[in-house]
Amino acid sequence: MVATTTGPATEPHRPPPAGTRRRGRLRRFLDRYWYAYALVLPVVVVVGGLVVLPLAQGVFFTFTDINEGNIANPVLGREADYDVVGLANYLNVLSGDPAYGSFWAVLLRTLVWSGICVACHYGIGLGLALLLNRPLRFRTLYRILLILPWAVPAFVSAFAWRYLFNADYGLINWLLGSVGLPTPVWLGQSPVAMVAVIIVNVWLGVPFMMVALLGGLQSIPGDLYEAAEIDGATPWQRFTQITLPGLRPVSSTVILLGVIWTFNMFPVIYLITGQNPHTRILITYAFERFFSGATRDYAIASTYGVLILSVLLVFAGVYLRALRSREAD
Amino acid sequence: MAGVSYVKASRVYPGNPPVRAVDQLDLEISDGEFLVLVGPSGSGKSTALRMLAGLEDVDEGAIHIGGTDVTHTPPKGRDIAMVFQSYALYPHMTVGENMGFALKLRRVPKETIKAKVAEAAKMLDLTPYLDRKPKALSGGQRQRVAMGRAIVREPAVFLMDEPLSNLDAKLRVETRANIAALQARLGTTTIYVTHDQVEAQTMGHRVAVLKDGLLQQCDTPRNLYEQPANAFVAGFIGSPAMNLKTVALTSEGAVLDGLTVPLPRSVVAGHDAKTITFGVRPESLRLAGGDEAGMKLTVDLVEELGADAYVYGSVDIGGTSERFIVRTDGRTPPSIGSTVTVTLRDDNEVHLFHPETGARLETTKAAPTA
Repeated sequence: MVATTTGPATEPHRPPPAGTRRRGRLRRFLDRYWYAYALVLPVVVVVGGLVVLPLAQGVFFTFTDINEGNIANPVLGREADYDVVGLANYLNVLSGDPAYGSFWAVLLRTLVWSGICVACHYGIGLGLALLLNRPLRFRTLYRILLILPWAVPAFVSAFAWRYLFNADYGLINWLLGSVGLPTPVWLGQSPVAMVAVIIVNVWLGVPFMMVALLGGLQSIPGDLYEAAEIDGATPWQRFTQITLPGLRPVSSTVILLGVIWTFNMFPVIYLITGQNPHTRILITYAFERFFSGATRDYAIASTYGVLILSVLLVFAGVYLRALRSREAD
Repeated sequence: MAGVSYVKASRVYPGNPPVRAVDQLDLEISDGEFLVLVGPSGSGKSTALRMLAGLEDVDEGAIHIGGTDVTHTPPKGRDIAMVFQSYALYPHMTVGENMGFALKLRRVPKETIKAKVAEAAKMLDLTPYLDRKPKALSGGQRQRVAMGRAIVREPAVFLMDEPLSNLDAKLRVETRANIAALQARLGTTTIYVTHDQVEAQTMGHRVAVLKDGLLQQCDTPRNLYEQPANAFVAGFIGSPAMNLKTVALTSEGAVLDGLTVPLPRSVVAGHDAKTITFGVRPESLRLAGGDEAGMKLTVDLVEELGADAYVYGSVDIGGTSERFIVRTDGRTPPSIGSTVTVTLRDDNEVHLFHPETGARLETTKAAPTA
């Protein structure tokens, strides 16, 4: 393994006699670097086994018609007999046909979901970070309380919220009812379910934003605020001219991460509303297609997976380029 | 432009007991004056400046700028500009934007801002860097941008909080002269904080020495050097420091090892303690020749500075070893380890202080040649 990773060694040594040249170079290279390669090897094996291989297999499946009926099944003693179908899966999915999951409608819902969630995460997180960044009593206690949602496993909070949202016995409807407000069926087959999962996801995602932004706020030197104050800046101007630019490096990273995570936020939606078409986003549809239905359609599920990856790659690329050009100004 | 006055201004930090960071400061700074606040760390000099800037509360007393009471006015209403030790340049703005920021906030027309920034940049040799970010500048250039930001404002008062302490020694000396020249040219009242007494002595029209929040003395550099009001100022101002020793006092005068310095009758008569704090600057001592009487100094170290040499050594006074510094001719310094005889150049060039209060005991000698 080590020997095969030999790249062109770029040492400015004078070349040894022709016959021993290759072996000598290899040996010198190994003498010098074997330890580094040995240390990297476990990671290469693990990442290769857990990420690269399944990804390659998934991409391969998108060009076949593989499903539960034609995959190799050692229990039944059945050989695999799926066929390569070329781009048929992509054409079917991208046509937006409801039989293939209404791709464009679900993509739109995913984008709306991600946009609203990340906007709320960032806005609320920044507000809380600003509050916690000023000296006040019990600050540490507040910080711990606000980080708590982050520390609870996602499925635990999902089930807790399901009880809270229960139409008949839930705390939320009890509260709404007691002040005379309407008590909707939160988790039913209606767009209200989307509102419910967005609330839960915002609750879950705010702590991360808050902690990251609090760190960002603390890295802004205090004398910049003093200089701005002397220069005559109002509190709002200090916020827009010092705080926001100072947070930019942190903000750009956490927004990118937030979008990627929310785009693929499976547990909140699936554990709270299950297979509800009103809360269906791309990742939950891929899961439904893979694990349920008359025939478990591995090919279409994989196609969705590859499309999700592509959307996120394009987004990240455009986003980073926009950031870079803005920084260059 | 305007004068500044501190009227019994205090800053008290709560605590047990409360910390009086600045205690009853009374200071009158006239229009166009360059006043330096100097003192060791924790002396309250920065706090005093920040009180004037409006960044610290004034807990007691008042502060006036140009005759107006600004004690409770926020910084933006005080018509001041401040240069910070860290420069506090806005990292995401270019040099030009940094310098024009205050004007932009006041909605000054763009062309006016541009003209003023260009003018200040020219004054500070910053014209080629106007479009750069502070990150891309050297320490000295950043310092000049911070100065430029203050100049563009055309404020009534400049406040400078140790603006040179992040520069290397050579640049510091150069910039010191530039700031003094700039201030003279602009004629803007300037309050300058430093812990470096050389900076204070070379730049200020007057120097205010603070210690533990209390004003020790405020006077011209020359008077501060020649007539320090107390032992602290005497030891703080001057480099190398004045030799300050508390020695026995007899009817003949102050007794140093083998050397009795006759003291004015007025001092000896009016002073009932058995000891006296006796101060003599290194340049007021000399190496004695031949059989002259004097202190026996064992040389520990010689600093040769070219024209002069400073001899560091110890003298046995009343059983304890006391360190002395003597300035001598740079061409013939004594060797380390040797013992030399040291005497006063002039019996009048001594400073006397009360051994307990440290207050100056006035001698009857003629007024200093100023």
